[in-house]
Amino acid sequence: MKKMLASLALGANFVAAALLPTAAHAFDLVVIGFQMSSETHARVANAASAAAKQKGWNVSVLNSEGSLPKHAEQLDTLVQRKPDAILIAMGKPVEAEAQLKSAKDAGIPVLTVMAGTSAHTLFDIQVNEYKVGAEAALYLLGQMNYQGNILTQRFDGNVGTRIRGKVLDAVLSENTGVKVAGTHTMARTQSWRDDVRNGMQALLLKNQGQVQGIWASFDGQAYVIDDMLKAQGVKKGEIPLVSIDGGVDTYRRIADPESTLTATVAIPFEEMGKQAVEALDTIVVKKQPKDSVTAGPYLFLDAVLVDSRNVKQFMGN
Amino acid sequence: MRHFLSTYGTALAGLAIVIFFAVATPAFATPGNLSIILKETSFLAILALGFALALMTAELDLSIAEVASLAAVITGALVHAGQPVWIAVAAGLGAGLLCGVANGLAVTSLRVPSLIATLGTAAVAKGLAFMITQGVAFVGRWPTGFTGLARGSLLGVPNLVWWLVGVAATIFVFVNWTRAGSHLVATGEAEEAARLAGIRTARMKRLGLGLSGLLAGGTAVLLAASVSSAAPNMAGDHFLYAIAAVLLGMTMFTPGKPNVIGTLVAAFTLKALGNGLILLGAAYYVQDIVLGLIIVGSVALSAAAMRRAAFVKKLSFRT
Repeated sequence: MKKMLASLALGANFVAAALLPTAAHAFDLVVIGFQMSSETHARVANAASAAAKQKGWNVSVLNSEGSLPKHAEQLDTLVQRKPDAILIAMGKPVEAEAQLKSAKDAGIPVLTVMAGTSAHTLFDIQVNEYKVGAEAALYLLGQMNYQGNILTQRFDGNVGTRIRGKVLDAVLSENTGVKVAGTHTMARTQSWRDDVRNGMQALLLKNQGQVQGIWASFDGQAYVIDDMLKAQGVKKGEIPLVSIDGGVDTYRRIADPESTLTATVAIPFEEMGKQAVEALDTIVVKKQPKDSVTAGPYLFLDAVLVDSRNVKQFMGN
Repeated sequence: MRHFLSTYGTALAGLAIVIFFAVATPAFATPGNLSIILKETSFLAILALGFALALMTAELDLSIAEVASLAAVITGALVHAGQPVWIAVAAGLGAGLLCGVANGLAVTSLRVPSLIATLGTAAVAKGLAFMITQGVAFVGRWPTGFTGLARGSLLGVPNLVWWLVGVAATIFVFVNWTRAGSHLVATGEAEEAARLAGIRTARMKRLGLGLSGLLAGGTAVLLAASVSSAAPNMAGDHFLYAIAAVLLGMTMFTPGKPNVIGTLVAAFTLKALGNGLILLGAAYYVQDIVLGLIIVGSVALSAAAMRRAAFVKKLSFRT
């Protein structure tokens, strides 16, 4: 029996060693991506993970798969594991308040990115979504000379994209020369590309020849619309298409004369991940006061509008 | 020995997993962590027990997760609006039951195969959940009278565990020790024979699917109370796990048949596995891969043991 237990322990340790990140006694960081199938969540989590590994930290990345119960369960389990810090990309601090409080009580510092603030976390790294929304909306209206009809492709299931839509509404309410000819709100999150394609196809058909601009709440939606417009023979600039997020494929499309994607507001997701790791290094490892990084509950980073004039600067990123 | 393996093989594999994690990571076998696993097991097991009840009547309920999400949204909307907790809870349970009854009627009265009927109900439930929420979750600091259903504890034992014990014990007694329960099982095992024996099989199918919906509603209430929010598709994550728990459960105790104890053990094993992998620091994709392999592996092992047992029986019969 003793032999069997010893073998089991040896086997367990072997498998655990195979599964576990190495670097014993290194700073133990857990990164939770709320929905790793979403490119922006993954970009933050992967950038943070890479930055932490560069510092020689132990990093494990978890995926909450967009599920609040799973997110809460993971946080509960991590409180038992007691990592040195937790970094959450696009989490839900209000819904997970009880779990975040447990983490704080257990002395585990938690930092969030694009999630919103909580009394139980250090702070949240954000771009100002209101500002981002306003930049995209005003740019689109500017391209249309503040006259004409637009189609909007929305997504209200996410705080950031919802805010962008609300800011667009505010901009439109003050610029009445631009009318919304049609709106499609994305409902499905798993087969959302089909959802966007079907919805926008119907709107484009209904408003053929009467659309002067298209606004999409995030770049992924704009890709689908761009492909549709290209298939219909629309040339760049004929119907300005503006969205928000940024990324390699977006920049490629903005630079591509065949693509109809006109501009995006580039959110520095990778930079957010890196800055989150730097902040944890400063506050948790080097024991500097939190105020040396940011005084309030947010650390705002800048988002940049990218169009044909400056896209080359971003192509290498 | 073969009979023992075919009956308890998967349970032993589950035990081996638990022992493995207990050895591999010190945080696993602590009371606090075991309490977390049990709490998480409760959501999954209650939902899975509903699926098992439908399966006992040889019907599939593929709507459980979407029905649970809809029930959570209805419950959340009422709590969010400041309605009394009991009304919100009753509405959540009622929504689940209503969907279950609709499934039962579609299967027995309209003769729609349960696979299709419950998929249809799932689509309707999903649409309704989005209609109510407009995609925006109900979130707030809800009254402790509601959140306490999932977050509180009694005699040092989390309330979620009490709910699980209560639900599981009730279903166990119902299935094994009541006439209606035996009729339910007989309907699933040999519907024609049961009908000829005077059992009202259509009623049993409605009962099985109705209870499945009710338990989805119960899971929803506990989920909403646990995370103090309600969003469309919030129980979607539990769908495959619930089915996996029932199918894994069918490989133990009474192999080949959905059963209460097997479902509970399987649900606990699945949750212990997820928990242990997080404690080990395994990357999220490793968790998915290991989970899939263990599910397929344990069912394959159990099936092999059952085949071997059947072969030996055949040989002994010939000689």
